[in-house]
Amino acid sequence: MRTSPFFHFLMLGFFKERKKHIGVIAISLVILFLLGSALFISSSIRYSLNQTLAWEPDFVVQRTQGGQKVNAPTAWIDDLLEVHGISKVTPRVYGRYFFKAKENSFLIVGVDFMDEQSNKALRMMMDETDLKQFLKGDNMLVGEGVSTHLKTHFYPNGYTFLTPKGVFKKVNLFKVLPKKSNLISNDMIIVPIELAREILGMGEDEVSDIALNVPNDDEWDNVADKISAFYYDIHVTTKEDIKKAYENLYNYKGGVFLILFLIVIVTFVLILYQRYSMVYSSERRHIGLLRALGWSIRDVLKLKFFETMMIVVIAFVLGVALAYLYVFVLGAPLLREIFLGGANLPNSVILVPVLDFGILSSIFLIYAIPFISAVLIPTWKIAVTDPKEAML
Amino acid sequence: MMKAMIVIDNLNKHFKSGDDIFKVLKGINLQINSGECIVLKGVSGSGKTTLLSIIGGLDRPSSGKVLVEGESISKLPDLHISHFRARKIGMIFQHFNLFDHLTAAENVMIPLIPTGLDMHEVNHKVEVSLKLANIFHKANSAAGRLSGGEKQRVAIARALASNPAIILCDEPTANLDRNNSLKFIDILSQLHEMGKTIVVATHDPLFDTLPFESKIIPMEDGSLVDTFSKDTLAES
Repeated sequence: MRTSPFFHFLMLGFFKERKKHIGVIAISLVILFLLGSALFISSSIRYSLNQTLAWEPDFVVQRTQGGQKVNAPTAWIDDLLEVHGISKVTPRVYGRYFFKAKENSFLIVGVDFMDEQSNKALRMMMDETDLKQFLKGDNMLVGEGVSTHLKTHFYPNGYTFLTPKGVFKKVNLFKVLPKKSNLISNDMIIVPIELAREILGMGEDEVSDIALNVPNDDEWDNVADKISAFYYDIHVTTKEDIKKAYENLYNYKGGVFLILFLIVIVTFVLILYQRYSMVYSSERRHIGLLRALGWSIRDVLKLKFFETMMIVVIAFVLGVALAYLYVFVLGAPLLREIFLGGANLPNSVILVPVLDFGILSSIFLIYAIPFISAVLIPTWKIAVTDPKEAML
Repeated sequence: MMKAMIVIDNLNKHFKSGDDIFKVLKGINLQINSGECIVLKGVSGSGKTTLLSIIGGLDRPSSGKVLVEGESISKLPDLHISHFRARKIGMIFQHFNLFDHLTAAENVMIPLIPTGLDMHEVNHKVEVSLKLANIFHKANSAAGRLSGGEKQRVAIARALASNPAIILCDEPTANLDRNNSLKFIDILSQLHEMGKTIVVATHDPLFDTLPFESKIIPMEDGSLVDTFSKDTLAES
């Protein structure tokens, strides 16, 4: 292959002055690593949430009193079934159970195993469960966080709940739910619906809420309006509302990361300033000399552009690759706590590898354009002056 | 009849500093023929370096013009003036102006890069130039580690790399000892024999008695004082 003298000279300059570039590459790499890690984690969480929420029912109907959610009467189910467009109505029983030992709470979810599950996410989690065996006694399926918590407090095989009536109810741990569902099942306990009512102290004619599906998306608003008109104390939540609530939660967590971003931005601005002033000071004479030796302004700009691009590409590729390994191979120790920490129980969510090329391109452009400008603008300013003046 | 290589016509250069105007060159008229060696002599501030820079296209005149081989270079756009410098001019600077992190050969390569030659041709020209300047044995040494005399020879090789017709030397012996200065004059003599047009700006007395035909032009306060041949100067 014939080597171009220009690229030969570019490489020579780059590698012989590598000490000058290593510092900038290292700092840029850290910046891109942090940015990349944050975006990988948030993309992965968002992906997992979307996957999970895809199985959620289209609507959830709740009863509110004084602005607070209370149990809904089962009589509502018949009224809802009469609304045109609703395909499936499923009563749900769930609630939080306070675990005194460490001031944590579990989410108790009652499931009617005789009915086809409206919540497909639950069904997916229980796919490999031997239902016959499960229903023989008072058994529960628990999320990984619950399992770990119980083991830590010496309840490896089950737990004795205290019902609101003051009765102890011993429930055996039948199985731990798969880790892949940790994002939603970490603090969850799944029990038969009657057992859930007993633990949570709910009557037989009460449910926590009612889930329903409306297959025609265009009818969602109409159906929501119709349902809302049934009772003064009815509250309708759509799947989109749930999605927004989750996104707001993680955006808030991403907000914590904003502090890190600010530090990163300040560092980046300092790098830009350093590059800008470096061109004006140490490289001024070099640029003037190249011009004096017959290089045109275009030649000088081309050299500086490619030199800067090499720094940008090396830092970007290494930074993003390290971020990928850190998040998806090592599981993002420390950083994940910013996004997932503060939850009721310690969560060990598996971060599913997600590469959002739109975001990656944005990072590249946000990083590359100011960086290249910080070099090319002063280079151009020097190159357009007379070489004699630039060499002074 | 000798062909005119450089013609300087009523050249003026001034710098502005606030309301003040400093006239550095005042109405210079000069013709330098092909193959001639001109020594511009004068004290610091006499304007010889500025005149050399304008001839080399490194600076632009305030008025007047410089013609090289009949073409005016004073108002050429950047791409053309750069092309002119790369092909026609070989510059030797007072402080050598080498890239210290590059080797001697790599320094010599620099003016050849924008000429569009391929790597093979570039390497060949670099080798020839280093041999001409008698510094080929240091081709792979870092410029920063060379002695003053060696650096000067690398600078000469770089000036010769594109085989320019004109060699411009700005105080070429200012940073050399007497021995290296004499060696430099030997190389200059060879270049003169090769038919190069040479313009030297200096105040070094060694250039008063060059061992080859030359014309000494004293400069004073931005003007050419008079023109002497070597013999005239010796007689005076």
